Amino acid sequence: MVNKEQFLRDLDDALKPLSAEEREDIRRDYDEHFVLGKEEGKTEAEIAEALGSPRKIGKEILAVYQVEKAQSKASTGNILRAVWAGIGLGFLNLILVLGPFIALVAVLASGWIAAGSFVLSPLLVLVNAILYPGTFEWFDLFVSVATAGFGLLLGIFMYFLSKGLVWMFVRYLKWNVNLVRGGLSHA
Amino acid sequence: MQGSEQQDGVIQMNVQFKKGILEICVLVLLVKKDCYGYELVQKISEKVEIAEGSIYPLLRRLTKEGYLTTYLQESTEGPSRKYYKLTELGHAHLQQQLNEWYAFSEAVNQLIKDGENGE
Repeated sequence: MVNKEQFLRDLDDALKPLSAEEREDIRRDYDEHFVLGKEEGKTEAEIAEALGSPRKIGKEILAVYQVEKAQSKASTGNILRAVWAGIGLGFLNLILVLGPFIALVAVLASGWIAAGSFVLSPLLVLVNAILYPGTFEWFDLFVSVATAGFGLLLGIFMYFLSKGLVWMFVRYLKWNVNLVRGGLSHA
Repeated sequence: MQGSEQQDGVIQMNVQFKKGILEICVLVLLVKKDCYGYELVQKISEKVEIAEGSIYPLLRRLTKEGYLTTYLQESTEGPSRKYYKLTELGHAHLQQQLNEWYAFSEAVNQLIKDGENGE
């Protein structure tokens, strides 16, 4: 039998990432619910039962919160946490969130690696020339300088692509959490 | 997935679907007058079987999105209660949700009717 004390404690445990202020605010809502329920002659156990699992409630609150945070500040940590919160909402969501996330990371990583190695290619030609002076060709150097220029352009392109994709992905996460929460607003 | 079934006059629905409807229920109840959380929970759970605890996260989200505002009011008995009030934005949002809901339910009804007529 779950009593009020235990319900509020479990809920608070589930809300660890939130600020103390916000947790207190949430606690007050449920505290009020218990008080009013008891005035109607219900027992704490009955009220807790009707409220449902505090861990599930916590997950729901956190999922909204994490996506909001990722939107306000798209740092890697925030996005990972939002992905994690999305996954937490269900196994099906594991595929819906993790799939696009892996694709996103793969596209961005390969683009950046390509840009980086293009930019560094003149260096490779020079290193090669130092190690094997006999094999040096001016043609190689010219080609590599051109490649480096292309790498720089690719880098600029990747910069904007990364920003755009991350923005889109955050939007997708928000939509996804809405969907899982069952909002009709984006149906 | 649970199917729709009637039980003790309380409608049980698919969880996802229910949560979308829940948003409409909350907004529509607040059109008439401001309510405190417990009141909303009672009014909705009289008609629809819900995990009562899930109303509060919904209320928090709607408040954050600017559809609701809250204020505390002392009550004659017990502690002060947090009341929820529909904002202008909330009214507009509700209207949009209702339009979607009517369009949706009309489409489903049409499909059911066609099905029953063997078309």
